[in-house]
Amino acid sequence: MSGRAIQTSASSVGSWFRSGDPWIWLTASAVAIALLAMLGLMALIGVRALANFWPSDVVQITYTDPSQRSATVYLGEVVERETIARSQYMEATGLTVADVGDAATFDRLLLKTGNRRIAGADFIWLYERNISALTRPVDAVVVERREWGNAYGLSDSTPQNGSSLDGLVLWLPAGGQLPVAATDVVRFWQPNAMTLTDKLTHYFGGIARFLTEYPREANTEGGVYPAIFGTVLMVMIMSVLVTPFGVLAALYLHEYAKPGPIVRFTRIAVNNLAGVPSIVYGVFGLGFFVYVIGGSIDQLFFDDRLPAPTFGTPGLLWASLTLALLTLPVVVVSTEEGLSRAPRALREGSLALGATKAETLWRVVLPVASPSILTGIILAVARAAGEVAPLMLVGVVKLAPALPVDGEFPFVHLERKFMHLGFHIYDVGFQSPNIEAAKPVLFATALLLVSIVLILNLSAYALRARLERRYRGVQQS
Amino acid sequence: MAGLQTAGAISVRRGLVDRGASVAVTIGGFGVISAILLLFAYLVWVTIPLFLPASITPGKTLPMAAQDVLFADVNDTAEWLLVLDAKRRAMFVDLATGTSWSAGIADNPNEQMVAAQPLSGSLQRYAILDSQGALRFYQARYPVSFVDGDRRIDARLAPLFEGDALLSPGLDVGGFVFDAYFDGDRLLIANSVATDSGREISLRRYSDADPDFSLEQPTQSSIALDKPLLRLLFGPQGRWLYGLVGERSDAAELVVWSVSRTGLTEQSRLAVSVSTLTSITPLAGRQSVIVASPGGELAQYSLLRSGSRFQMRKIREFAPAPETNIVIAESRRKSFATLSASGELSLYHATSGQRLEQLQIPAGVWQFAAFSPRADRLVLLANSQLRLLDVANPHPEVSLRTLWQRVWYEGYDEPVFTWQSSSADNDIEPKFSLTPLLFGTLKAAAYALLFAVPIAVMAAIYTAFFMAPALRSVVKPGIELLAALPTVILGFLAGLWLAPLIERNLSAVLSIAVVLPPGVLLLGALWRLLPTRLYRLARGWHVLILMLPIVLLVVVAFAVGPVLEIQFFGGNSKVWLREVAGLDYDQRNALVVGLAMGLAVIPTIFTIAEDAVYQVPDHLRSGALALGANHWQTLTRVVILTASPGIFSAIMVGMGRAVGETMIVLMATGNTPIMELNIFEGMRTFAANIAVELPESEINSSHFRLLFLTAAVLFVITFAFNTIAELVRARLRTKYGNL
Repeated sequence: MSGRAIQTSASSVGSWFRSGDPWIWLTASAVAIALLAMLGLMALIGVRALANFWPSDVVQITYTDPSQRSATVYLGEVVERETIARSQYMEATGLTVADVGDAATFDRLLLKTGNRRIAGADFIWLYERNISALTRPVDAVVVERREWGNAYGLSDSTPQNGSSLDGLVLWLPAGGQLPVAATDVVRFWQPNAMTLTDKLTHYFGGIARFLTEYPREANTEGGVYPAIFGTVLMVMIMSVLVTPFGVLAALYLHEYAKPGPIVRFTRIAVNNLAGVPSIVYGVFGLGFFVYVIGGSIDQLFFDDRLPAPTFGTPGLLWASLTLALLTLPVVVVSTEEGLSRAPRALREGSLALGATKAETLWRVVLPVASPSILTGIILAVARAAGEVAPLMLVGVVKLAPALPVDGEFPFVHLERKFMHLGFHIYDVGFQSPNIEAAKPVLFATALLLVSIVLILNLSAYALRARLERRYRGVQQS
Repeated sequence: MAGLQTAGAISVRRGLVDRGASVAVTIGGFGVISAILLLFAYLVWVTIPLFLPASITPGKTLPMAAQDVLFADVNDTAEWLLVLDAKRRAMFVDLATGTSWSAGIADNPNEQMVAAQPLSGSLQRYAILDSQGALRFYQARYPVSFVDGDRRIDARLAPLFEGDALLSPGLDVGGFVFDAYFDGDRLLIANSVATDSGREISLRRYSDADPDFSLEQPTQSSIALDKPLLRLLFGPQGRWLYGLVGERSDAAELVVWSVSRTGLTEQSRLAVSVSTLTSITPLAGRQSVIVASPGGELAQYSLLRSGSRFQMRKIREFAPAPETNIVIAESRRKSFATLSASGELSLYHATSGQRLEQLQIPAGVWQFAAFSPRADRLVLLANSQLRLLDVANPHPEVSLRTLWQRVWYEGYDEPVFTWQSSSADNDIEPKFSLTPLLFGTLKAAAYALLFAVPIAVMAAIYTAFFMAPALRSVVKPGIELLAALPTVILGFLAGLWLAPLIERNLSAVLSIAVVLPPGVLLLGALWRLLPTRLYRLARGWHVLILMLPIVLLVVVAFAVGPVLEIQFFGGNSKVWLREVAGLDYDQRNALVVGLAMGLAVIPTIFTIAEDAVYQVPDHLRSGALALGANHWQTLTRVVILTASPGIFSAIMVGMGRAVGETMIVLMATGNTPIMELNIFEGMRTFAANIAVELPESEINSSHFRLLFLTAAVLFVITFAFNTIAELVRARLRTKYGNL
């Protein structure tokens, strides 16, 4: 599309507006805003998530509190810097106009000081104008503890970076010492003394631990392994359920049902179900699957355990079933698209050679449609992986006591509750008491979830693009 | 096609397989599709009981000879009736068989009982006064045991406080009016006392009263009365005392006293006309009383604060119940029934103001009437006959009026829209107004669309009409990819990152909206000054040129934000909003929701609108251009007009998505069900409400069914929006095909 049709000689503003050129710029800015918002979101999640694994330097800061006059020494990691307005500065410090001076903005940094048990809080905002000294002591040690978050201190002995020792005694810069028992130590490191190689090892080690470890401290620390496991297992069960049913429904609609207004209406209805809010599926799942079906199963087969419910309570099976119902339209629509792509000549050739309708479908049409079906399943999986609202009703918990798969018969425990990456974000971000301390876990989990969903979507997109190229030839011949 | 099959020699087996497959696919496919339809049917099916009328079915009658019945109560399972009468003192009646026996509390068979009442504040506990003026307290226990597999209940009446009898000095047994309150810790006894100078009410307070031990010395106080006392009732939590005073009940006054450590303080008086002493009855929780007057009017009076005092105020009138003798209230809900001498039985619900059911039963002189605690049974005694009635009244609190109109709740100054589904105990009525939730849902959707529609539609127009094809093949799937972003991520960023950011930089964020469009126009104008060759470079690539300036504009806005704050908002925009504009500011507000949910809706609207504009037949455009229209004129006069149904359907689909979105609203607002249009305050939507409350809701309760109702409403709204949008698009496709 060519851009504009105005004479460059007529340069008055009026003619410029008449040409419509300004409005084109404005509409273009809408695209730019949408793109920037998307890229900005991705960048925000990516940077915040990945930066947290880096062993940043531990700084020692001599600081004079604006409202007091005595200096304190703090030791910790700088996690955030920001500029705040004068009014917020006054609100935060409780100072009056006379004390503050005439600066309009104030720079401050958020220092993670750890040692929650001693200081009461992990974090402290420090105003940069009040910092009198900032050093990076080489003997600063960070200890990741099983309880009470990180500990920061100075160590005169030189412990090796790693996690085997008999316990540590940290010297606190403000005076006093902090002993850490060996059983309490997850790992420790001396960031200021680390080489780049050390830091890289530490960095990727941290990511690996995040993916493979169990959560600690009410999910705010440690890894997300059970949530990954739960998400993957739930999605797998869901795809096992949704594939046959989705394909069956599409086959019926496209191949067997007599075309007419009823089929047309059904098709629209199935399409529109994709637009029904996911929470509605959750309500249905809880009411019908959990209470009606699950309750009946309990009465028939688990009578001895009543009134403690076995299947009559939210769990893995019901979550998978609910999401299978939720994603059914995606698979049906995609499969139908694939079925309509199978060229008529191909079907008629098969039938002419004496194959029955079922044989034609099974041997000729379905293979041609299979990439479309696969695309549908991938999209369904992507949607299911990111869906949280219905799961809150039908089986997700913040902390599952056991994985749904273990060595105990019947090995896969469909009645158990499970953890989920998306719900993990909701739970940690909105139900935990110390959100600031949980932010690293939050952003990392968010990045993980976004990556999974986007990779699935991109692969479905790529698959579909390849298909279009491949069948363009078949359809034209 | 079927004809082709007969051409060859098909083996029987293959034919069978083919037919089998056909049947299997049909059954399977049909099954799956009906399973989907089942979804909606089930949601509706769960909600239907909400709107079924209540019913009272006469059950059996049992002969029962009892005279001078003072009081009766039914146990929790509605199997036993405890009757306290003046002669035999106390007996239990098995409601299945009618057999009765003494509860065995008579120490001295010659003693007569004069009055008995339930202890307010607790269930199955009673205060009994004998003719000697001794007040004793009992608890009915119904322990269950299994003997040879048979379930047995050994009903008995056990004394409380080690059988302590409280003697009332100066007691006028004949005209003794009292009420007692016990919440497991505090025992309060108020009673009338005849003194030399006249009458007074005496209040005894036993702090730290343990039902298993003897009572200690009470603190005692009294307040003088000018008129005879007819009835005394403790109010909620024993903090108030209501009294009916006057010579006759039909010309009496309803007095409210506040109860404190120091004694009683009169709060207010209200003239009332009560038909009999049993036709004034407190509702569960005792925040309000139901009064039936001799004229047949039936009204609810509730305790309200007015100024510094508390007073009784008539908040509701019911359908009249003439000649009412007895008003009985349920013990856990706000339903009550009236009974007249002629046998007119009516069932009402206070909150909904409805008469739920009316029934004619044989007339009689009613000795007592009582609801079972679960309100599934009504027990009446008249003419030596015990009459049982089965009551089915599962959802009295829900009616179209309570759901959608203002309702005057107990303790409120005026009728309001309120959603407050759960409370600590049964004393506080659930408030089921869907209006604030509907308001919140529409508010969230409106602010989201306010942000999303301009951006999405403009972006769609540009992408379809002006953008270079090479760029379009990247941008379109890029924006569509945004649709796949899990909403929990958007919600989390909105709640934990965006909300604090906006709160800190309110003026900067608002200034972006003001500065951005002129900024873009300015850039366009400046671009014109470039040499023609460079100028033409912009065609189709405006977006890339704009990216960096927009980022710079945002950075500049944040940099000058604090200065704006001082210049225009006196240094603190939140204070300015509150004091100058009169707007409250919540950190998690509609602005945050609008931005986050708008971002979730943009790709939905964009995709459909872009398709609609892009698919406008080429010859229309070419024709317009050939007739001398420029591109912008072609777009506005031809292309958009043709594509407008498609854009409309895009907005409909976007609206459907915004209405049902759960996680973003859940995480980016405070979820308070308020009705304020203010963009800086939050809301609670249907979807978020379901997510918050359904896991805690008791199965098949009114609350549970109401949440299903909201889910069904959401289903209908979104399904209707999407269907309309789909039909519009289908028509558009036909139109494009014909053009």
